[in-house]
Amino acid sequence: MDAEDLELFSRSIRHAAEAAGGSSGFDAGAFDASLADLGWHDAVADFPRESISTLFSIQGETNATSSALHRVVAWALTGSPSAPGAILPRLGSWQPPAREAGDQVQVNGLANTALVEAGEVTVPVATAGGANRSATVTVGDLQLSPVKGLDAGAALVRATGSVPGTDAKSNEGDWANAVRIGRLAVGHELVGASRGVLAQAREHALERIQFGQPIARFQAVRHKLAEILIAIETADALLDAAWLDGTDVTASMAKAAAGRAGRLAARNGQQVLAGIGFTEEHGVHRWIRRILLLDEVLGSSRTLTKDLGSNLLASRQLPPLLPL
Amino acid sequence: MELSEFKAGLDAWLDENESALAPPEGIEHLDQQMVRLSKVKAAVYDAGWMRWGWPEAVGGLGGSTLLRAYLGAALTERGLVEPGIYSMTEVLAPTMIDYADPALAAEMVPRLLRGDETWCQGFSEPDTGSNLGSLACRAVRGPDGWVVNGQKVWTSLAHYAQRCVLLTRTGTLESAHRGITAMFVDMDTPGITARPIESMHGHPEFAEVFFEDVVVPFERTLGQEGQGWSVAMDLLPFERSTALWHRAAFLHHRLQQVLDVAPDGALDPAKVGEVTQLLYAFRARSRGTQWRLHRGETLAAETSIDKVLVAAAEQAVFDLAEEALAEKIILEDDGPAERWRSEFLYSRAATIYGGSSEIQRNIIARRLLDLGNDR
Repeated sequence: MDAEDLELFSRSIRHAAEAAGGSSGFDAGAFDASLADLGWHDAVADFPRESISTLFSIQGETNATSSALHRVVAWALTGSPSAPGAILPRLGSWQPPAREAGDQVQVNGLANTALVEAGEVTVPVATAGGANRSATVTVGDLQLSPVKGLDAGAALVRATGSVPGTDAKSNEGDWANAVRIGRLAVGHELVGASRGVLAQAREHALERIQFGQPIARFQAVRHKLAEILIAIETADALLDAAWLDGTDVTASMAKAAAGRAGRLAARNGQQVLAGIGFTEEHGVHRWIRRILLLDEVLGSSRTLTKDLGSNLLASRQLPPLLPL
Repeated sequence: MELSEFKAGLDAWLDENESALAPPEGIEHLDQQMVRLSKVKAAVYDAGWMRWGWPEAVGGLGGSTLLRAYLGAALTERGLVEPGIYSMTEVLAPTMIDYADPALAAEMVPRLLRGDETWCQGFSEPDTGSNLGSLACRAVRGPDGWVVNGQKVWTSLAHYAQRCVLLTRTGTLESAHRGITAMFVDMDTPGITARPIESMHGHPEFAEVFFEDVVVPFERTLGQEGQGWSVAMDLLPFERSTALWHRAAFLHHRLQQVLDVAPDGALDPAKVGEVTQLLYAFRARSRGTQWRLHRGETLAAETSIDKVLVAAAEQAVFDLAEEALAEKIILEDDGPAERWRSEFLYSRAATIYGGSSEIQRNIIARRLLDLGNDR
């Protein structure tokens, strides 16, 4: 994909995200349909980095919702771009959302509203022997309960239940790869969401007049905004490195840095937006809610960071360096 | 010369020659470090490696700036050079190439590259720290050249240096950044006194420099009269590019050593994880900057992010070292203890020198976030 194609692709996705938004909330199903029309799912297989970074950055920035993460995880797990979207692990976890129990497969994970309309889902399964596989499961066989929680806009659906293992079509599954790619996708979404918060806080700082001048003149405000950008660029640099070196450890570092950037953007952005940012009307709360949710998906910044440190203290060996 | 070919050739050469260039066991004082730095640079220059990545017009062999980035990182990773004193070349040579008379650059730059000479950078003054535009070291036109009077401070290595890239005030003080002129000064010119500053970390790297009726020939002017601000602004991104890549190699080397020696249970896993993420993020950021330089892009305000990150990473690495080796750093006086202590203390300055982290945030707010003027 050359720069011109990428620009066009990016513009189309942004347009679709804006079109799916509206006064009655974001229509995840409509956005999913637009992504299918744009050929995004096929593009993921051919140009994974460009497709994933572009979509998820825009999704974060515009506070859009789709089944894209579920689709990306299913593709990375099975190698098939046409695999139905995957059930994701429970919040905070990066273990497969299902395990074998006798001749049953026990599921406890997260889907979303657009995904369950598709009829079939991919279920990542941890097997008794410690390996992983994937199963294709009929949505009707699962118990589904929509989640409102902190971020109703994310349109999450809790999916639980035991499905007969024999009924599930079973395939080899590379779960570590699915976690790696999923973390990169969520990392880009967090960076996008952080940029979304930064843009809103910046605009407010330039427009809000106090003591006879825009509050953007005050160094305390300027530095809060600068810190958001520094955190965003930090995460972006690690995301780049993770695509280049393809390792699990760099992807995990990138996800942790993106989660930390998101939390900093939420904290500093909300402080700069002050009273207006605390209202339902302003809307920045939707980005803040999404950031708090995304930081937990496939491992939070806190747990991934501690996990990395524990591994380093055990091995006493820093991760390999990306060559110049 | 492709990067891969350069890497393979240099690595093989270093494998063979590093033992002759390596520092002695224990603490090495700055005088000895400077002598060894010259020895390392001469050996690396004579073998050709130091000349790659520099233009042929100044004695280089051409090729990408990535070759210079790789060389400095390789020398640092192997502990052969201390990146702070080594990387001065990366800051001062490009300034000479861009702004000196070509014949002067051709004569002088090879001496810096080969380690025959040490150069310094006379920017800060007692009343001019972050506010560079207020500098007051005065230069007026005399019959034989500029006549310089005034003082500089925090001039790294001035007491070792043969030359200085000096910023002077040639306009009125009110002309601020418009009335500044840069010049290339021989440090043995009568009227110059360089006095080392004893600093907290024990190595007198910085100096104060006094100028009393110092005559500098007009042909030593860098750029045009009144163009000194541009010289300084073009120099600063170099301070935040290749030099920082070398620093990343140094910090990586030291963080690995922290992991090697930390007693069980001394370190908080969450903190180890966070420091590692910060260092790897800084390195990833700097890697991007090296490639932008290679592609010939102009580096500007975005390198302020690199500077904020290196300072944060450096302090984080040495905070961790201090936690891992508290007793050693606080109580012991052997060579390794003295080195850890000195580097820990030096890291306290990382958020101060070369534009404080607050100044970098001001630049980020003004230039990258476009928040308008702050007054």
